[in-house]
Amino acid sequence: MTAIIKRTFPIDPAQLLPAITPDNEPFWSALTKGHLQLQACDGCGKVRYPIAPVCPHCGGNEWKWRQMSGEGTVFSFARFHRSYLPEFEDLMPYVVASVELAEGVRIFGRLVGRDVKPQIGQPVRLVIEEWPDGRCVAAFELV
Amino acid sequence: MNMRGAVSIVGVGSSGLSRSSTETPITMAERAVSMALADAGLERRQIDGLVNQIGSPRGPDYDRAASLLGLEVRFGAQPWSHGRFAATVLQHAAMALTWGLADYVLCLAAYRSSNFGKHGSKERNTYAESLRDGGGPHAETPHTGLTAPSGATALATQRYFHKYGIDPAKLAAIPLAFRRHARLNPGAVMQGELDLDKYLKSRYIIEPLRLLDCSVIVDGAVAMILTRTDRARDCPKAPVKLLGVQGLHAGPNEFIFGLRGLGIDQASVFDEQPRWQDQLVYRMAGVGPKDIGTLHIYDAFSPQLLFVLERFGFCAPGEAADWVQGGRIELGGELPCNTSGGHLSEGQLNGWGQILEIVKQLRGEAGARQIQDLRLAQWATTVGDSIIFGLDA
Ligand SMILES: [Zn+2]
Repeated sequence: MTAIIKRTFPIDPAQLLPAITPDNEPFWSALTKGHLQLQACDGCGKVRYPIAPVCPHCGGNEWKWRQMSGEGTVFSFARFHRSYLPEFEDLMPYVVASVELAEGVRIFGRLVGRDVKPQIGQPVRLVIEEWPDGRCVAAFELV
Repeated sequence: MNMRGAVSIVGVGSSGLSRSSTETPITMAERAVSMALADAGLERRQIDGLVNQIGSPRGPDYDRAASLLGLEVRFGAQPWSHGRFAATVLQHAAMALTWGLADYVLCLAAYRSSNFGKHGSKERNTYAESLRDGGGPHAETPHTGLTAPSGATALATQRYFHKYGIDPAKLAAIPLAFRRHARLNPGAVMQGELDLDKYLKSRYIIEPLRLLDCSVIVDGAVAMILTRTDRARDCPKAPVKLLGVQGLHAGPNEFIFGLRGLGIDQASVFDEQPRWQDQLVYRMAGVGPKDIGTLHIYDAFSPQLLFVLERFGFCAPGEAADWVQGGRIELGGELPCNTSGGHLSEGQLNGWGQILEIVKQLRGEAGARQIQDLRLAQWATTVGDSIIFGLDA
């Protein structure tokens, strides 16, 4: 079961999150139910991200949403020592990772926790951050 | 149809760069345009094409630029309001000239950035673009905390260091070289002496990138006039010919500030090993990387030089960090790079300072920085756009 972390900070989600569209609505609403789901191609079976109307691997237009296991590894990471956004001020310095999911696709997410010291290749697990307005975002914790 | 050398730069002008100008962009633009017209020996009324860069809100758009600068043009264009388009602007001018849409095209970059917030902050005029579905223009995803162009560049750099087992301190060779060049350029905004110790003490912005790995944003204007080379004999200065060109790449495997194959964002993972035959810029110019006398790149961040050297085949995958050591990329070295100081030290005017420097170097007007017996100069970026310039036909 994926852990859900509540974050309390003053936020206008419209300033941090893409607008909900018919294309991305299933992705964002699954997160509020505790799942990370991405598009899987009917033609070649590959999972893709970001959300797109065509498979970048085989050109197929048919696909279904597939729930991810939430398991992955750190593909790369960067530690932010400069605060650009007030919503992240209390987390400084924080680490953003490119996570390679077990399903073979990469996604960006913050590594939760203070003073995290990730290594490339280290296993991570999905956590979901619930924001005060109810929207949820994918983040990761080191395993 | 071989377009090699068909179009030339015949006049250049610059307002000068400033970290915080009190002048408006159109005033800076006019100074650069007057200088370029005088340099080209042309009358203002002869300009009949305009390709303008950056636009509102930081600078004039092409329509206001034309009307406020008194230009009656029959070909006008302006790319997206981002910095990556210097070569694209010149290429649009070249295409307009070869298709007869215009006879003298003014390429103009004029803008002021100092009165906008930091890149990555909500005060920046382009912040809303980072909320695009699929990410921002530099792979920003603000809800993860990944913001600012330096964010994904740091991810690319970290991965590159890991992939090839590189000591991060080797990056220092790049900002140090460019600062040495800037100290020979009175127009460069960063003049302080740099050494390895100062580099290693420079604070992290987004680790592994330090403050000294990041470019210095400036205000200013650069103007260049291009014409078909068969008309260039009327101009007083030696025409600087576009011998080879190659467009800006985009797609799932491209990341603006990274290297193909590093796997940033959704890109596939592979070793980027370009073949000369795959690279239009070399094929068109009839030369290879070994023939280039000076290389100029879009150095928003210092690792971009490593990425360009590998992407264009100056060295093998994973070798660039060693390749740049020992003065090789400095004046007097095998391949002097960004000899005016580049974005890191001359100032970040979206590559126009570097292209101006290429023109000066090829004309023999680079003063203390002059490279002797220079024949070919190349502009190249991490997303593949490139131009090879030279005086010879
Ligand atoms: Zn497919």
